[in-house]
Amino acid sequence: MWRDAALVAGKDLRVELRAKIGLNQVVPFALVVLVLFGLALGPSDAALRPAAAGLFWVTVLFAAVLAVQRSFAIEASDEARDGLRLSGLDAGGIFLGKAAAVAAQLIVLELVLALVASLLFDTHLSGAGLLVGTCVAATAGLAAVGTIYGAVAMGTRVRETLLPLLFFPLVAPVLLAATKAWKEALAGTPSHGLGWLSVLAVFAVAYLAIGTVAFGPLLEDG
Amino acid sequence: MNGYIESGYIVTLGALGVYAASLVGRERSARRRLPAPPARGTAPAEAPEDAPAGDEGSPAPPPGSSGTGA
Amino acid sequence: MSLTSPPFSPAGTAGPARAAEAPAPPRGASPGRRRTRRPRTRADSALTAVGLVGIAGVVATVWLGLWVTPPDEFMGNLVRLLYIHPPLAWVMFLAYGVSFLASLLYLWPRTRSARFDRLAGASAEVGVVFTGLTLVTGSLWGRPTWGQWWTWDPLLTTTALLFVLYLGYLALRRVPGEPEARAKRSAIAALVAFIDVPIVYFSVLWWKSLHQAPSIDLTTRKTYVHGSMAWTLLLGFLSFTVVFAWLVAHRYRLAVLEDREESEGLALALAERRAEAPEAP
Repeated sequence: MWRDAALVAGKDLRVELRAKIGLNQVVPFALVVLVLFGLALGPSDAALRPAAAGLFWVTVLFAAVLAVQRSFAIEASDEARDGLRLSGLDAGGIFLGKAAAVAAQLIVLELVLALVASLLFDTHLSGAGLLVGTCVAATAGLAAVGTIYGAVAMGTRVRETLLPLLFFPLVAPVLLAATKAWKEALAGTPSHGLGWLSVLAVFAVAYLAIGTVAFGPLLEDG
Repeated sequence: MNGYIESGYIVTLGALGVYAASLVGRERSARRRLPAPPARGTAPAEAPEDAPAGDEGSPAPPPGSSGTGA
Repeated sequence: MSLTSPPFSPAGTAGPARAAEAPAPPRGASPGRRRTRRPRTRADSALTAVGLVGIAGVVATVWLGLWVTPPDEFMGNLVRLLYIHPPLAWVMFLAYGVSFLASLLYLWPRTRSARFDRLAGASAEVGVVFTGLTLVTGSLWGRPTWGQWWTWDPLLTTTALLFVLYLGYLALRRVPGEPEARAKRSAIAALVAFIDVPIVYFSVLWWKSLHQAPSIDLTTRKTYVHGSMAWTLLLGFLSFTVVFAWLVAHRYRLAVLEDREESEGLALALAERRAEAPEAP
């Protein structure tokens, strides 16, 4: 299963590297959203600085939806989906592979976004350990849920509107916990954020497990 | 202050009543649109349909009758 | 073509005879059909009985809640919403729980049956209705109590998220597709959604409690419920649960009809068209 996961992840990332959709579209999209938040809440830092963590994570959530859409759009073309099914790859492996590819793209995005956000919202990035840890755990959860729902919505014509509707309420705890953890890190009290980090870890583990198990039946029909 | 309480009760009862009425109405119009129970052997979903809660369609269609057609 | 026995009024859709009548009436509005009532089955009577019990219980709750029980020493008359808001919330959780279990049973190969898929959908739809009502009553309770329509109370916030979550689930169910594929992905979506419920609740609880004294928390009311109030509350829980059961049963029956319409609809329309066409010589 792990080998299949690595295969699928490699494939997805290679497709992305060649198409560069993530680089050309998703990252700029996220940057624009950040700026829009700044326009909506600024220009004085009074409202922006305390909100920085939350605005960052909301933006990540929006970008995550796009990344997941992209991940499944790859399969929708050229009957790639049937190819995936016939390839004999383990379903759980396919899930983990796709989720890993999405996660990788999101991590890169978050790096860029964090730097830009700290600039726009005049925030000093302290508590790097907690910041990074939160990113990893939160991204894992987002990628897992996104991949599950992506498969659920895959093949339906209303995928574009259905996926956000399904995704956002479900990952509300991730938004909540990640924002809180980042706030603690930025405020210089990273130890207070560890509880939130564990919430993120529980979420990620739970949904990675569910996805691994449930992906088989999801792929069967489509 | 009491206005809130009464609105709460009214909204609750009203909404549930409207929903119940809509369910019954939809059921009636759906039944009107569907004729006799499937006598044709083509309906694939017959097996799981023998649910307890007042399900439609007796599993044994009367002989010699098809709902439509010559 | 003989008029056959129940449960349906076959309503004499005789082929050749139709051609002699008015030309092609629109579907569903056929004046030529005899509207014989389908006779009541035992299930129908049972369902009606359940409905009557539910109505009686709710009416009793309303009467007791609004008039008979005394006002609370702290909250005054506002406590009267206690008799409907928590019961509505309880039914909401019950509904989603039923949906979750039904989805599990559907996914488990040995118990896979369209029944469970329909039950999951029916229960979720009724659940969404109760969720909306929970939000409305919660808001109506909060406004006079704390001056705000919304207070990010953990239970209420969780309810708001559940509302949107299950609206999404219902939207997913309505996406057209092969029945089995649709049922499978709906079941998985229901699983995914329900597992989130405790995570959401506890996250919001901690989120809220770390910020202010948990005095604004609808779940830890400092109200002593005793005497007639306790009985009324219990009656409220029971009657709304009965109403829930009645609504789910009817929604389930509707789902059966809708599924039949889907599978037979095309064949029916074809047969009708064929019947209306002039006989081939």
